[in-house]
Amino acid sequence: MSQLLEIKDLTAGVEEKELLHSVSLTVGAGETHVLMGPNGAGKSTLGSVIMGSPEYAVSGGRLFFDGEDITDDSADKRAKRGIFLSFQNPVEIAGVTLSEFLRNALEQVTGKHLKLWDFKKKLRSCMEILGMDASYADRDLNVGFSGGEKKKAEILQLLVLEPKLAILDETDSGLDVDAVKTVSAGIDEYKKRTGGSLIVITHNTKILEALRVDKTHILAAGQIVAEGGAELVDEVITNGFEKYIKGGK
Amino acid sequence: MKEEKTQVADIDRSLYDFRYEEDERDYLGSGITADIIKEISDEKGDADWMREFRLKSMEIYNKTPMVEWGPSIEGLDIDNIVTYIRTKSRMNTDWNDVPDDIKNTFEKLGIPQAERESLAGVGAQYDSELVYHNVRKEVAESGVVYTDLESAMHDERYAEMIRTHFMKLVPPTDHKFAALHGAVWSGGSFVYVPKGVRLEIPLQSYFRLNAKGAGQFEHTLIILEEDSYLHFIEGCSAPKYYEAGLHAGCVELYVGKNATLRYSTIENWSKNMYNLNTKRALVDEGGKIEWVSGSFGSHVSYLYPMSILNGRGARAEFTGITFAGEGQNLDTGAKIVHNAPDTSSYMNTKSISKSGGISTFRSAVTVNEKAAGSKSAVSCESLMLDRISRSDTIPVMDIRTDKADVGHEAKIGRISDETVFYLMSRGLSEEEAKAMIVRGFADNVSKELPLEYAVEMNNLIGLEMKGSIG
Amino acid sequence: MEKIILNKLPVPTFGWLKVNSAERDAAAFGTGEEREVLLADGSRAELSGGRSVFEVTAAENEKTSAVIYISGSEGKDLTTNVKAAAGAEVKLVQVYENSGPAIGSVNADIAENAAFELVQLYIGGKDTVSGIYADLAGRNSCFKADIGYLLDGDEKLDINLVASHAGKKSQSEISVKGVMRGSSEKTFRGTIDFLNGSSGAKGAENEEVLLLDETVRNKTVPLILCAEEDVEGSHGASIGRIDEAQIFYMQSRGIPVDKIYELTARSRIAQVVSKISDKDTADRVNAILTGGEEDG
Repeated sequence: MSQLLEIKDLTAGVEEKELLHSVSLTVGAGETHVLMGPNGAGKSTLGSVIMGSPEYAVSGGRLFFDGEDITDDSADKRAKRGIFLSFQNPVEIAGVTLSEFLRNALEQVTGKHLKLWDFKKKLRSCMEILGMDASYADRDLNVGFSGGEKKKAEILQLLVLEPKLAILDETDSGLDVDAVKTVSAGIDEYKKRTGGSLIVITHNTKILEALRVDKTHILAAGQIVAEGGAELVDEVITNGFEKYIKGGK
Repeated sequence: MKEEKTQVADIDRSLYDFRYEEDERDYLGSGITADIIKEISDEKGDADWMREFRLKSMEIYNKTPMVEWGPSIEGLDIDNIVTYIRTKSRMNTDWNDVPDDIKNTFEKLGIPQAERESLAGVGAQYDSELVYHNVRKEVAESGVVYTDLESAMHDERYAEMIRTHFMKLVPPTDHKFAALHGAVWSGGSFVYVPKGVRLEIPLQSYFRLNAKGAGQFEHTLIILEEDSYLHFIEGCSAPKYYEAGLHAGCVELYVGKNATLRYSTIENWSKNMYNLNTKRALVDEGGKIEWVSGSFGSHVSYLYPMSILNGRGARAEFTGITFAGEGQNLDTGAKIVHNAPDTSSYMNTKSISKSGGISTFRSAVTVNEKAAGSKSAVSCESLMLDRISRSDTIPVMDIRTDKADVGHEAKIGRISDETVFYLMSRGLSEEEAKAMIVRGFADNVSKELPLEYAVEMNNLIGLEMKGSIG
Repeated sequence: MEKIILNKLPVPTFGWLKVNSAERDAAAFGTGEEREVLLADGSRAELSGGRSVFEVTAAENEKTSAVIYISGSEGKDLTTNVKAAAGAEVKLVQVYENSGPAIGSVNADIAENAAFELVQLYIGGKDTVSGIYADLAGRNSCFKADIGYLLDGDEKLDINLVASHAGKKSQSEISVKGVMRGSSEKTFRGTIDFLNGSSGAKGAENEEVLLLDETVRNKTVPLILCAEEDVEGSHGASIGRIDEAQIFYMQSRGIPVDKIYELTARSRIAQVVSKISDKDTADRVNAILTGGEEDG
């Protein structure tokens, strides 16, 4: 299987603090990876660095996507290459409707002009999958959305933009059982439609039930400390992270 | 990228020093003489009262000191403007003479070919006749009058009405440039909406570069009788270019009992313009004035539409946006006077500063002794796009009754890196992301505008944002 | 008569509002020899007339707190110079409980990582003109002001507060609560000035004014001046009577309307009094506050 994402010895951080230490990780096309680890391990940081957040500076290592070096690419270039990050706390943008924003983004990512009617049809069908009321399309992006609605809106964007690699950063946290089901169905649909790859950052197994996990990575204190298959997820759920934390009991 | 930047005027360093010049008392007066004023009166065939009015205004102008606050207008060459009035130069501006940056603006705005051609006739031929007559045809039967003020003044049906309203709301004694306006005013519109008539489509007044400098000192007088409704749109798709750099227009709006007037403006003057416009509305019982105002152009602006709520239950709404770019010092806001019981006002403004531009939000809300039961809410937000620009917020609330409910909130900040990253992560470039955020920020105004103007304003923002990165 | 111009608004605005400065007759206020008083940590000073300059200083990483009472019916003029060196903390409480005219000013220099907390209470006062100038020069410097006023009759209060942010990540938080009765007059000018270079600075300002008689005259002038991009500034003001929903809520619990106003007025001021950590001072203030009211 060809490699989609290749992270080589990645070291990154903010100002004077290093948060990721020489992380290496490879995701093949169509694969589903799970990233787990205790709070503050650097999981979200890793997701943000893959997406190209200017908040973090990369001080070592390279990132490759589809065989090309993307380490110096800005976030929009990475999005155009097919990387998507579902934010843990999606930003609220007043005055810009969800529909307007997404149409704009889709045109950027695909590089094609889209007829308004075609876009609306596509948007509506995706919203239906997620059980989102059509009125959300005309609401300001994430403004006044509940936590669950924001997460759904993120998955909606995933379905519309159809990236090659989606990083889902705790998309299931803070959701009730029904909402987790809806979000899972959305992710499932994304997989079915595109055969894309996933990096799922999560604390529980609910969201993974419908997915065939290829690989699990445990991140602790900014380093990959363990890797394995799907079974590692259950192991962690049962025993916790203690044995992976340095100086742990 | 470079050539897409909007016109760059030399930044006058004195602009930054204005706050130290509080005691400056400049008498700019001497330039305008009685002979010039009489010449204007002769040219226009003024009635006797108007001849006297102009001369009286000139005296007031010569006696009135400059305001002691606000941006510097040192760069304003009054002598040049006076000369301009004296010679009554016919501008005969040819489309080919319009500077390239303005032409390009038209191109980028996507102003339709037809409209551009009519603009090309500016001075010689141009007028918004088409729009004007179309509207007139539809509304004339209902008794609505929409004509130019000068000819209305010579029409015996309206002469008396104009005499009793003209510069009664904004007297020449109001400030120096109101006096100048009274002395040399020229051109402008007159609108009269009779009792009970509700115009569903807006009247639009495009400013025009016709002869006699009409555009610079134009006077707009609108009278709405009881229970009527009007939406009046001023300026908009015609960025204007003048030889001289002063605009001292005057707008007087009389809103009758239970009538509603919506007054929308998008100003995009050329960036060498000093815009010292005075706008004022008097609102009777149960009436409402709605201002929608976008300020994009000018080198210096002083613009604070004033609403005087004079009848019980009268209301005022002000929605505004100001975008100050390189070389611009835009001092804008609103004034509201609550003069009767149970009146209410609502102000929502946004301002954006970029590339060294200075924007100032300035407001005054006065709730008088007579205004028991009144409410006022003001919200203003400012956005700084870089660290070489400036943004000031200067509101005043003067409350003279306990039976009032006055609220005010203001915020200043920047576009967060997080927001830009979020949009970029979905494929937008940094420039597009910022433009989108700024458009969203300006949403309060764009959603109050008719669609075509909202689209145009968004384009304008896109234009201003171009070349703002890196 | 010598006129003096005080409390200049940092950037002037519309002249007809008469808020650009306060003009007073110098002779009505404190005259005579100027006294210099050094206030050590924990000291309490009382000024009942004349002219005084107080110095409140905290050396590096030290803490100093002081209380100044302004009392009596004579005219007075006081200046308080505050210096908070790097890492220092200064807390100054000023209680205006005087019946005469007063001019006061507080000038604070706040160095790196230093904090200055100011609590001011104006209980009455024939004519008080008070300026507060905080120079947030140091990185991470911090200024917090809690100001309360209670005015009645023909009392006059004119305040001009300027928080000048020069230091990176400097912070200011200004909270003003007032109650006005009778035909009292008050002007509050509050300016947060973000100077170029003050990146990361934050400033917040809020004034709540409760108006209890129809002859009061309140002016609120909250400025934000900004010459830096990476800053956060906000101000809010709410002026008028008590919110109807709040009145209804309290009424529904059995409190009559006039009591609701009394209660609200008292609790507004109590919020400021609660910032006074010195117990003796708090007791003294509470005694004045309850002494002036009918038995309730």
